[in-house]
Amino acid sequence: MSFLSSLPFAHALIARQDLPVPAWLFAWGASIVLIVSFFALAAAWRKPRFEDEGWRPLGAGLSRALLGIPAQVLCGAIGVFLLGVAVYSALRGTEAPDRNFSLTFLYVTCWLGFPVFSALLGNLFKPFNPWRAIGRAFGGGFEAIAGQRAAHLSYPEWLGRWPAAIGLLAVVWLEVIYGGSGGVAVGLQPEAVGVAALVYTGYTLAMMALFGVEEWCERGEIFSVYFGMFSRLGYFGVRDGRLGRRKPLSAATNWATIPGSAAVVIASIASTSFDGGQDGAFKGTIESVSEWVLELGASPLTTVRVTDTVFMLLCFAGVALVYLLGVRGMRTVRGAPSLAKLRNGFAHTLIPIALAYLIAHYFSLFVFQEQAQFTYLLSDPLGTGTADLFGTASAGIDFTVVSANAIWYVQVGALIVGHVLGLTLAHDRALAYWPDYRDASRSQYWMLAVMVAFTCFGLYLLSAGNG
Amino acid sequence: MVVAVVLLVVLSSNGSDDKSSKTDANEVPTIQVNKNGEPVGGIVDLTYHKGDRIRFKVHSAIADEVHLHGYDIPKEVAAGGTVSFDVPATIEGVFEAEMEDQKEQILQITVEP
Repeated sequence: MSFLSSLPFAHALIARQDLPVPAWLFAWGASIVLIVSFFALAAAWRKPRFEDEGWRPLGAGLSRALLGIPAQVLCGAIGVFLLGVAVYSALRGTEAPDRNFSLTFLYVTCWLGFPVFSALLGNLFKPFNPWRAIGRAFGGGFEAIAGQRAAHLSYPEWLGRWPAAIGLLAVVWLEVIYGGSGGVAVGLQPEAVGVAALVYTGYTLAMMALFGVEEWCERGEIFSVYFGMFSRLGYFGVRDGRLGRRKPLSAATNWATIPGSAAVVIASIASTSFDGGQDGAFKGTIESVSEWVLELGASPLTTVRVTDTVFMLLCFAGVALVYLLGVRGMRTVRGAPSLAKLRNGFAHTLIPIALAYLIAHYFSLFVFQEQAQFTYLLSDPLGTGTADLFGTASAGIDFTVVSANAIWYVQVGALIVGHVLGLTLAHDRALAYWPDYRDASRSQYWMLAVMVAFTCFGLYLLSAGNG
Repeated sequence: MVVAVVLLVVLSSNGSDDKSSKTDANEVPTIQVNKNGEPVGGIVDLTYHKGDRIRFKVHSAIADEVHLHGYDIPKEVAAGGTVSFDVPATIEGVFEAEMEDQKEQILQITVEP
């Protein structure tokens, strides 16, 4: 037995891991994917339906109440307050990751909650974004004192959303690699998260000062970009300060016009894949490579971190490669637009896949850990046993609220629904790009292959054990 | 044609599904833990079905707390002593038991539906 296998690869928070999806469900899931795809090719529509959002305003009173200055100030203040609570409990609370408010709040409630709820409802993070609130308050203060708006550098167009894509990988890296391979630790230490949050706050405010608050939120601020990406699938949208309804999925069609957007959605799929596979599908390979790195003379901790980092980057490269192959394939179809246009133009079709991966891998974690969030972590944020703010400090997690069967169906169901939505968006985009609908359909053999690859890979990760 | 192939895959996979090795109800496995808090012979895998009883003993060379996570049952063990677990398998999933102070996993317990 290698000593590496005795190092804790486990998550910081999980006291229970999902059972692998059984072979029969894997087979059914894959079969449904193939059958659905088969029908998608045959029963396709001929004119794009999602390129126009079909936005209709909601009542002016409702808009004012939800989007007016008092609501903006209130939501911003709530965001800043919660960030403060998270940082304070991280730095001053218990070292035990599962008893400290900060980890569950940042990595489960926000990191997993915002994508899912934004995908249904629209951009929920924007009003609560603490850095945007602080940046705007500073901007307003500057304007009041100086009598003019702060001048900003113009953001380099080519840089686009790349800072957010790299940042997204870094956020996941901190949790599943830096924290997951702590050697002697059971997971990511709250203190490390607290320091990371403070460093990120400093960096974000500096970037906002340089490039402007909204510009940085649109392109560089990790959480705005990442949660904003999922919100494009949602039902509600704001236009010129007015809240309105729109066709679900439709706002995604103009999301990827900024360079680096494809990298963001690829980073999302890749990081979830890595986390899902590191204790299951990739475990054997990771351990073999680790032993090889160890023989080069690296310390055990460095070995695990370096190997895991390499595997996470390989996941990114792999997901990117599959997507780019699909793009290249589409280019060969008569009447195809340029490669660059295709590359950006189909990136949004992967958003439902990224969301499906998140749900498939973290559904049970979310259901269980949110019980902790709203009971003992809320009553005793520091986890030191000295507070019981809401009388729920002694509550526990009921692991029987969802059965293994229910979790399996949610996992496989999420992947299938994500697959269908991805195909829908891809077909619709092809109709907008190719003058002839038959050529558009032909181009979609390629995206179909891409989607089948991602969905079946997702199913495979689940069946090989879920980290 | 595609549908036929797919059905064939589904049907053939149905047959080869039942591989889980159910732990013998009469046999209570004992995990030997050495002075470093490590399980002798590596981490032991035990598989149960919901409704079974999770039964095992831990014989430890050092004093520590044996913690069955998920079920959240901690039991103290003395140096050279043995501690017994007998727990109804009510929660499905994969769980670890570890020597708490040593942060060393000794058992992986799988509870299937």
